Amino acid sequence: METAITVQGLTKRYPNVLAVDHISFEILKGEFFGFLGPNGAGKTTTINMLTGITKATEGKASILNHNLATEPVEAKEHIGVVPDTSNLYDEMTAWGNIIFCAKLHGVPKERREKRAKELLETVNLYDRRSDRVGTFSRGMKKRLMIAAALVHEPEILFMDEPTTGLDVQSAREIRGLIRELNRMGTTVFLTTHYLEEADVCCQRVAIIANGKIIAMDTPEKLKLGTQAQQAIEVSFDPAVNLDNLRGLSHVKDVVVAGDKFRLYVDDSSEALPFIFDFAKQNQLKIVSISTLKPTLEDAFVKLTGLRPELMTIEKEQMKPNEVKAND
Amino acid sequence: MTKAWIEDFKRAIFIAEKDVKIYFLKGPNLIFGLLLPVSLFLSFSIGRAVDISFATPGLVAIAAFFGAGAIQAIALPLERRTGTFNLLLTAPISLFAIVLGKALAGFIYGVILSLAYTAIMIPFAPLPNLPLFLLGILFSSFTFSAFGLLLSAPFRDIPQAMPPATVVRIAMIFISGVFIPLAAMPTFLQVVAYAMPLTYSVDLLRQAMGGLVNVQMLLVDLAAQVLFSVVFLAITVQVLKKNIE
Repeated sequence: METAITVQGLTKRYPNVLAVDHISFEILKGEFFGFLGPNGAGKTTTINMLTGITKATEGKASILNHNLATEPVEAKEHIGVVPDTSNLYDEMTAWGNIIFCAKLHGVPKERREKRAKELLETVNLYDRRSDRVGTFSRGMKKRLMIAAALVHEPEILFMDEPTTGLDVQSAREIRGLIRELNRMGTTVFLTTHYLEEADVCCQRVAIIANGKIIAMDTPEKLKLGTQAQQAIEVSFDPAVNLDNLRGLSHVKDVVVAGDKFRLYVDDSSEALPFIFDFAKQNQLKIVSISTLKPTLEDAFVKLTGLRPELMTIEKEQMKPNEVKAND
Repeated sequence: MTKAWIEDFKRAIFIAEKDVKIYFLKGPNLIFGLLLPVSLFLSFSIGRAVDISFATPGLVAIAAFFGAGAIQAIALPLERRTGTFNLLLTAPISLFAIVLGKALAGFIYGVILSLAYTAIMIPFAPLPNLPLFLLGILFSSFTFSAFGLLLSAPFRDIPQAMPPATVVRIAMIFISGVFIPLAAMPTFLQVVAYAMPLTYSVDLLRQAMGGLVNVQMLLVDLAAQVLFSVVFLAITVQVLKKNIE
């Protein structure tokens, strides 16, 4: 199958920071590829290098065999970009923005208006086409950015945190739209720190931390890699202190998950009796308890040593470069 | 190759069209562009005996200078701060074409303001060589727009870009023969003046105003402005390139 994106030893070095450290990967045409990592891991810098916003310090990146360093214009003809923050003109109308993007991408005059109408209808903004973008909500702007990125029917779509900060309904709509585009053949490069989003949408994911890719595989294979560790989710009434649970026998780690605790254990069947004993001794009612299959989040935690809900490095956990890459 | 250049140029025009619409032809910007030259001019000339034929080219040159250049100190840094500049960077268009598009927008703004001042001044100061005067406006507006881009290129926000750009422009006005004829200046300032694009603009407009054209000087004025424009645009591209590295 033909390669859509090729990255070899791509590196971005700022005066005091090595933002991206010699990453390499290939993405096939039509693939839905997820690029996961916490804030500051190097996701946006990578996407910026692949879309021409910033230049790589070292390494090579190609879009459909067009080297971004030597044939940037040709490479950019094939991509659509939805950045994490709005790149649209607040002073212009939704219609004006789409038409301007169409002009920038060389969409023929006779096609521009038809395409703008189609896209604005797709993202449910046609009725607001004459309104200034500055008056739009974050979700509406995001939908419009997607429409603008698709105006020239790109073969590859780069999306940087497309659902961050959106309400549930808007996030679902955008997710549905991206999946539909991929189904129609568009290659999607998605960066996100929402692991469930990547799990549901992506055929393959790479996990980046501290500028390095530490794992790359299908979500299912990454989950399988963490199967040695199991989890039990339990909720008590009244609530208990996290530290008390950390001391339980067979429990390796505890994470707060909403009103529940997620206990990471080697063997659920061995740990369960201790949890019941703990509840009994402390006169706690177990509101709910369930054993969990490994999730992409578990794989992420194991591989990066990061808590996804916190997106910060825990002192006691190992550094990412100490973890063996899975690819 | 030629087709690619034509496409790039077309897209530069689209950028210019967009900039003119959303930044330059806004009421406050037009009023600023119209009031600033006249207020600068009056602050220097009130209380002095200023010959209208000597003053008009200077006033029109300042209009082009501030009109075409000053607005660039707003448009480019604003685009970089808000992220809209990234929309241009991710589009299939060369960095030179982006810069050219922005320069064309400033050029249009400069031409509009200069023509407005020319229209105001014509009843008081007859123009014996109107075509040359208009040519001077066109060349000057483009050069000053490119100069404005150069001054704003290193900055990512308006508060950073405005002060140095304003200081440089005001200083240039006083040493480019706008208010004081070059001949009346000390020799070292005359040397400095010939390194300023405004000097050539004022000289060209004065030649059109005076009626007697020195062809050699006219060619020098035009060539200098072409050279300044090319150098300013080339440096702007390099500064922006450095910024995205």
